[in-house]
Amino acid sequence: MRILLVAVVSHSPEVFNVGIIALDGYVLILRGDRILDFIDGLSTNLVDGNCTTVFTTKNAKIIDMVEIIPIGDLVAVVGYGPYKDQILSHLTAKVLGSKITIGDASDSNQVMLSTEDINLGTSITKVKTFRGWLLIGPKDKCPKENLTKEQFDEYRVNNIIPHQGHEITQNVHPLSCGLGHLVHENKGCYIGQEILARMRSRGRQGKRLIRIENPAEDATTIGETHSLVIRK
Amino acid sequence: MDCNTCDSAPAITINVPEVVQVDLTMTVKANEMLASAFGDDRSHALLVGVLSGGCSGYMYDLQIVESTDQDCQELDIDGFRILIPNATSHLLDGIEIDYVEKMMGGGFKINNPNADSSCGCGESFS
Repeated sequence: MRILLVAVVSHSPEVFNVGIIALDGYVLILRGDRILDFIDGLSTNLVDGNCTTVFTTKNAKIIDMVEIIPIGDLVAVVGYGPYKDQILSHLTAKVLGSKITIGDASDSNQVMLSTEDINLGTSITKVKTFRGWLLIGPKDKCPKENLTKEQFDEYRVNNIIPHQGHEITQNVHPLSCGLGHLVHENKGCYIGQEILARMRSRGRQGKRLIRIENPAEDATTIGETHSLVIRK
Repeated sequence: MDCNTCDSAPAITINVPEVVQVDLTMTVKANEMLASAFGDDRSHALLVGVLSGGCSGYMYDLQIVESTDQDCQELDIDGFRILIPNATSHLLDGIEIDYVEKMMGGGFKINNPNADSSCGCGESFS
């Protein structure tokens, strides 16, 4: 992998930091009737299959951005480790009388992100996301990490990709941190929908995620020459 | 992902809310509308349930049913059979079923003292 990294660096500065990084992620396994409908009713994007979506509070603040991965009769929900408790609390309160069970496969799975499409064994689930290719699999079968946090940050700054704990936090709404493309315009009701729809229809989205030249005091991610900031 | 790891994933305990013996009232207008819907046939029941979703987190789900496979408590309100699923009884205790006429047509409305807030259309609450 390191050889590949060097080779790409020398040819294409635009994709300088290609490689794989381990993420602090959780993997929840949901089973039961109409799981995708259940998730669709609670999150911002249209959930009818493999997709990225955002769970929000009724004030439209982010609870977590998650990857939805249907696998046979179950659905894997992959999100950011530090937000797992909030997501679980959010989901379990909404199960009510539904025949839905939730399992936690976080300990037995590693979540990684690859900035390029790579060939992997069948035990690794690979899904394309706007951040890159998300890889989920048993820890002993996952590829080795070959991207440092600084290199990953540089990749994100260059491509204006928000990340949990930096731009994607529970203090912001999806439109302000670069997740507007995950807020479906006409899917119908979900928690926080009224506020997000009003922001869009009135053209008052407030702050936005932008890339600016260094230095930036309010940077959410600092790159070598540029940074990401959330500003009006 | 290895399907074996999915199968062995420890189950998250979903706390089942305490079942509450629901106290429910109905306005005269709602009573009239139910009488009109049921006629003399009292074999059917009004199922008042709650689903997850909507702008505020929960949505009311009103159905006229003959029976249901949900675990319910059955109330007799002015001769009408009202079914309340036990799984959502904690969200429905103390509600008033009303019927309101609107420009776009009438409909049943739930006035719920347990709701902190509700969305603009009134169909969703938290």
